[in-house]
Amino acid sequence: MVLLEVRGMTKEFGGLRAIDSLDLTIEKGQIFGLIGPNGAGKSTAFNCIAGAFAPTAGVITFNNETINGQKPWNLCKKGLARTFQIVKPFASKSVLYNVMVASFATTNSRQVAEEKAIKVLESLNFADKKDILSSNLTIADRKRLEIARALATEPKLLLLDEVMAGLRPNEVDEMVEVLKKIREQGTTIFVIEHIMRAIMALSDRIVVIQFGKKIAEGTPKEIANNENVIKAYLGEDYVAA
Amino acid sequence: MNYKNINKVALVAILLIAFGLPLVIRSATYLHILVLLFFYAYLTTSWNLVGGFAGVLPLGHAAFVGIGAYTSTILFLQYGISPWIGMLVGGVLATIAGILIGLPTFKMRGAYFALATIAFAEGFRVIVENIDYIGPFKINGPRGLQIPPLDIGLANFMFASKEPYYYIILIMLVAVVVLTYVISRSKLGYYLNAGGEEPEAAMALGVNVARAKLIAMAMSSFLTAMAGTFYAQFTLYIHPKSIISLDLSFEIAFIALIGGRGSIAGPILGALLLRPVGDFSRIYFGDTLPGMHLIIFGLVLILVMHYQPRGLQEPLTRLYNNLIRRITHNTTGR
Repeated sequence: MVLLEVRGMTKEFGGLRAIDSLDLTIEKGQIFGLIGPNGAGKSTAFNCIAGAFAPTAGVITFNNETINGQKPWNLCKKGLARTFQIVKPFASKSVLYNVMVASFATTNSRQVAEEKAIKVLESLNFADKKDILSSNLTIADRKRLEIARALATEPKLLLLDEVMAGLRPNEVDEMVEVLKKIREQGTTIFVIEHIMRAIMALSDRIVVIQFGKKIAEGTPKEIANNENVIKAYLGEDYVAA
Repeated sequence: MNYKNINKVALVAILLIAFGLPLVIRSATYLHILVLLFFYAYLTTSWNLVGGFAGVLPLGHAAFVGIGAYTSTILFLQYGISPWIGMLVGGVLATIAGILIGLPTFKMRGAYFALATIAFAEGFRVIVENIDYIGPFKINGPRGLQIPPLDIGLANFMFASKEPYYYIILIMLVAVVVLTYVISRSKLGYYLNAGGEEPEAAMALGVNVARAKLIAMAMSSFLTAMAGTFYAQFTLYIHPKSIISLDLSFEIAFIALIGGRGSIAGPILGALLLRPVGDFSRIYFGDTLPGMHLIIFGLVLILVMHYQPRGLQEPLTRLYNNLIRRITHNTTGR
């Protein structure tokens, strides 16, 4: 079953075309990767899908509903949650408070929100830090908090924007396990990542974009051997003749 | 005795003292000072719903005080409608004004929002100062309105002594503090805090930030206008300089910033500290150095912002908690 379908999505900032008629289809239960060199338009694509910007053209369908230009808070309630590449914790509040803001998305009761938040924190092995001020967290924990908050909104589709950037190798491995666990619990994941080791291990399918255009799509193995991709990342000279 | 019980006892003790004070303090002057202290604590607590929780800095709340005071006074003088009803009408009008001000300004950030609210409040003051009539309603320009104290009594919100005013404003203060407490623990409170700190992240987590701020603004302006009616009935004379002045808007912000924005105790602590300072500086420097209190407030603000950027409530709360911990520790250790 198709969960997210993007057709001909284009985003222009003045004269700059950041995304150029991008197509992609994400099936329910997949881990779907989006990669590309710096400035390729990955985060812009996320912002368009999650409602932070309205795309200039194209159709975005989520769960059989066209969601172009809908506001982020409404999309969140429909089951589309995201994290930010540059983490944005509510710094003066505790970890639990942060996650409760998110779990209020599906309830009005403080008690229910708190129970849900604790459940999410426990599932991420994070509950022992619930009373710590989020400004005192390490970068790895801040990334984890981003995920915890997004999960607490009970999403069908989780958009993860570079949640592994800046992590140490063992922390990356931990995060890979966390994401696999989230998928097992029934959440579809759409992930932007620069750490190839992680994205290759995780993704069922990967789309590569460069200058806003899709240059390749396929399984991790296909992508790793794709000429266009090697060109985009390493330059012409490295393509095996 | 555990932590929660001690808190309850302390709260009850404070309330008992507050309600019992007029039995001890017989001087009208001191009661007057206390009434104004509670009045400012009430105003700042109302302001705190927007200025504290929603993370913006409104500097035009005097306009809502003015709307409340003028509405109830005009209704009373021209139509004989009880100020109690006028209080609610003023609240509704202020709510409408608050939403109209909030709609275009909540998209602005930082100083721009503050400046916009100053502009609205000052514009309102200038209008009130320069016209005598709005339609059929006499507002009497800069001369203001006087309420003749003819029919004294509860129905007309007029009393010969200070005590009734003291109890009315105290009850209003307690009510608004309870309301703030309830809101701070509700979904709205969480949404306001989140939207104030990181609007983008809050929106992505399902928070309609603009809507939450508007709700807070609506409540805040309604409550602020009620204080305006109280002030009109307390002094029985209102004029634009006294209730729509920038001084009033600034004093509210001073109290909030020094006491601690976004906390429940902050506005009360701020008022407890600053009001006596202000009153005594007006008593002693009123002739020679008028406005001295604002200079003192400024100095206190600089010191507090430098050493305790989150206001005096933070060190005081810590102190209180340590004290309680020591007490509970001693009793259980015995």
